[in-house]
Amino acid sequence: MKKASALGVHLFLMIVSAISLFPFLWMLIGMTNSSSDIVKGKFSFGSMLSENITKLLDMTTLGTAFWNSALIAVVGTLFTLILSSMAGYGFEIYRSRGKDRLFGLLMLSMMMPFAAVMIPLFRMFSRMGLLNSPTAVILPTITTAFMIFFFMQNTKSFPRELLQAGRVDGLNEWRLFTRVYMPTMKPTYAAAAIITFMNNWNNFLWPLIALQTQEKKTLPLIVSSLASSYNPDYGIIMVAIVVTTLPTVAIFFLLQKQFVQGMLGSVK
Amino acid sequence: MNIEIHEALTQIKQKGLYTLKKWLSVLLLVSLTASLLAACGSAKSETAGGAEGSEGKSGSKKVVAWAWDPSFNGAALKIAEELYKKDHPDFQLEVVDMAKTDLEQKLNTNLAAGVKDGLPDIILVNDPNIQKYVTAYPNTFADFTDKVDYSQFSPYKVDALRIDDKIYGVPFDIGVTGMFYRTDYLEQAGFKAEDLENITWDRYIEIGKEVKEKTGKYMSTINPNDEALTSILLQSGGSWYITPDNKGNFVDNPVMAETLRVYKAISDSGIAKPVTGWSEFVGSFNSGDVATVVSGVWQVASIMDAKDQSGKWGVAPIPRLNVEGAVNASNEGGSSWFVLEGSANKDLAIDFLAKTIGGSSEFYERFLKENGGVGSYIPAFSSEAYGQESEFFGGQAIYKDFTEWSKQVPGISLGTYTQEAKDALKNELPNILNGADLKDSLFNIQRLFEQQVQ
Amino acid sequence: MGSKSTKSTFMGWQFVLLPSAIIVLFSFYPMIQSLILSFQSGKGNVTSFIGLNNYARLFSDPMFKQALFNTLLYLVVQVPIMLFLGLVIAYFLNMPKLRFKGFYRTAIFLPCVTSLVSYAVLFKSIFAVDGILNKMLMSIHLIDGPIAWLMDPVWARVVIIAAITWRWTGYNMIFYLSAMQNIDPSVYEAASIDGASKTRQFFSITVPMLKPIILFTAIISTNGTLQLFDEVVNITNGGPGNATMTISQYIYNLSFVYTPNFGYAATVSYAIVIMVAVLAFFQLKVGGEKK
Repeated sequence: MKKASALGVHLFLMIVSAISLFPFLWMLIGMTNSSSDIVKGKFSFGSMLSENITKLLDMTTLGTAFWNSALIAVVGTLFTLILSSMAGYGFEIYRSRGKDRLFGLLMLSMMMPFAAVMIPLFRMFSRMGLLNSPTAVILPTITTAFMIFFFMQNTKSFPRELLQAGRVDGLNEWRLFTRVYMPTMKPTYAAAAIITFMNNWNNFLWPLIALQTQEKKTLPLIVSSLASSYNPDYGIIMVAIVVTTLPTVAIFFLLQKQFVQGMLGSVK
Repeated sequence: MNIEIHEALTQIKQKGLYTLKKWLSVLLLVSLTASLLAACGSAKSETAGGAEGSEGKSGSKKVVAWAWDPSFNGAALKIAEELYKKDHPDFQLEVVDMAKTDLEQKLNTNLAAGVKDGLPDIILVNDPNIQKYVTAYPNTFADFTDKVDYSQFSPYKVDALRIDDKIYGVPFDIGVTGMFYRTDYLEQAGFKAEDLENITWDRYIEIGKEVKEKTGKYMSTINPNDEALTSILLQSGGSWYITPDNKGNFVDNPVMAETLRVYKAISDSGIAKPVTGWSEFVGSFNSGDVATVVSGVWQVASIMDAKDQSGKWGVAPIPRLNVEGAVNASNEGGSSWFVLEGSANKDLAIDFLAKTIGGSSEFYERFLKENGGVGSYIPAFSSEAYGQESEFFGGQAIYKDFTEWSKQVPGISLGTYTQEAKDALKNELPNILNGADLKDSLFNIQRLFEQQVQ
Repeated sequence: MGSKSTKSTFMGWQFVLLPSAIIVLFSFYPMIQSLILSFQSGKGNVTSFIGLNNYARLFSDPMFKQALFNTLLYLVVQVPIMLFLGLVIAYFLNMPKLRFKGFYRTAIFLPCVTSLVSYAVLFKSIFAVDGILNKMLMSIHLIDGPIAWLMDPVWARVVIIAAITWRWTGYNMIFYLSAMQNIDPSVYEAASIDGASKTRQFFSITVPMLKPIILFTAIISTNGTLQLFDEVVNITNGGPGNATMTISQYIYNLSFVYTPNFGYAATVSYAIVIMVAVLAFFQLKVGGEKK
């Protein structure tokens, strides 16, 4: 590879990274400044960090909200990974006309704006007696057509010879899925886990409707109520935003190795 | 090829089996704990829900309220709770805070779904939404007509709560407007406090030009995406976006025409600094970029945030429109407390509100002192709290002035379709500011509005 | 052989039935309810059956037309830019010898972890009239005076497009990166030996191999853009005028901001469903799902 073109690639990536990171830098700076400094656009670190943190902890039930968010995001993600990969695998590996039609139908479900199905969904959960529980928030997200589609598309490049070989070895269909497919598709699972965790963690509209009491609230609900007061304190809001953002970043760090190391390093 | 694949498979099986076993056991453990916890959670909430339905709720006397600003209206409820507890020691109140838009959305979803168990007993309603809710969800809100002595409140505030001879809810905070100004900037431009009393908007613009020339500061801010200023102007002329019978009020409405003329004049004159959001708006006066702020009384808290500007502010009545009947007073925002008709604690909630926010001077004195909130309860106006002088505002007894102005605010009907009408106006506003014929524009707005509310 | 394939077809159903049932319960049941709702109109709970009138209303509704125009504009301009950018970045980050990969990857992915409130606070302040962007542009003399980004219909749309691109490019990049792991590195090595340039390799190896995933991202981005909501509500709130308002925001307004008309809101929602379905159908056809 020529030096000049490598330099070009680095330059390009550096510019894109800088644009991507800039708002985060601004957020970190904001966290250490007072509200009026932030509004004035002060672009240097200040000394208000500990005060902002103390105020935030005083004003909100941050710890509880953090725990609620984590529970919902982790459980929801685990179920989504299992159920959606099962379906994506089933739809692609055992393709049939009936399944293709069913899949097409399922795709319709992700095309509906959520605001339009919220009221009937709310009524349904009320009848089930599940309102104001983490279960109510998790259940509608545990399989999505979106994730099924993602697994299905990735399965297209799954080497089917492995399945045949597995059958020869006497593995039954479920074992093929859990012992051959699942370990092979680790990069796909990792990407799906990051995306799903992030969506669940930031989920806003449905938790807002389904959760009712203060002690059940998730982090985004807390941040939203902070930002809408008559006299919002942006320093505190910045801290809350950082707290909300950190876990998703952590999950990303944790899982990114999985999908960049290459999955079939052993198959040549 | 086959052999290679076979080898790979064995490898995957060995490696995979190992990692998979580890993975699966962790997975199983986590989801087990989690579903256990989730089940606990739902079980708890079920028992709580069940108790609410039966004797539990009426027995424990726990009233739930939704509010949207813990340091303002939420705090007000806490004061009311303390006062009420003096005579009702076993009274309990839970305030659930959420953003205002979130609250409205939640309320709509609950009411539309016909689900009662998710709703609170008490709810805060923004005044322009009152008619909308009461007409869209009939028999949902409790009638307060004989529960509160409404003659003790500013009439314009009570007007907003009256629908078909019934009065729903308890009047709460008001947004009586004033013109906050920087005494130092205006002095520098050669103006004294008296020069700002009872002026017209045209005079305001003239002063603004002087200020801009002499001090380099803007006179005000302008945000074409926000209806605050047009709303203030309309109400000061005793008019609104829609008529009391919910028709568009754009064509053949002299107050509307004058409002938009003034708005365009301010925009054209160059005395207004363009801002595009709330934080920019607040920032413009906190950082000393503008000489005046025309806003509701609740803006006091944000203005006083800039501690270095203490002693440099004053408040005058807002300028007046050049039409008959227009006054130097108006209102921006404000809200009221409603009780849900289907609430298990309806009578208790009504009694609680009526005895505190609906009839206690002590409540309003404390609300002002502790949270800077101004209500429309007239007996409280003569109290010591309302008469105190503010050092930040150069020793002016600002709350006395504000309450004085609040008595002049014209009463208007906010109607059902305020938001639709505001959006119709917003759609055409850029054209108006670009110099389109006002008559045509008003006609377009009216047509768009009618299209929207069919 | 024949019996075996029937058996495997049957086997397949046990993988798809439970997930499908969950989607039917939590998505289709509410969707049917809202279809019924779309034949009704009125205020809040005071509604009446009006047949297809809501659907007729769509065609004469200037607000809907405006929202539709804005949404399609975002779709046509933004989606291709974002997908191409995401693909190119993923391709670079997948180059075996590139240094600082981890840093770039993390930096470029980070924007999509921000929640909607964070997004709003950050972008509004950056694009404020006195904001940091104007300050920077002025200091390098690119502009003489501050630009009121969010007050000009054209700039406001540019800001929205920039914001979506900022937030979602890294998201698409992750899909591409994970899919690129399935491409055997030896394919590239062979191509290099044959003297194919990097650009050539990108178009003749990477793009064709990633076709299923590119198709996937194209469909979900189309879907996401047609449902675009948070960005617009939080950054411009549809303004100036209604220049940036999207269909989803209009649905939200009809339900929760205006005097609630859930029936008409449901009708507008079905307009989105039909549009996405048609577009997705064409994308699948063009994307060549032939076996």
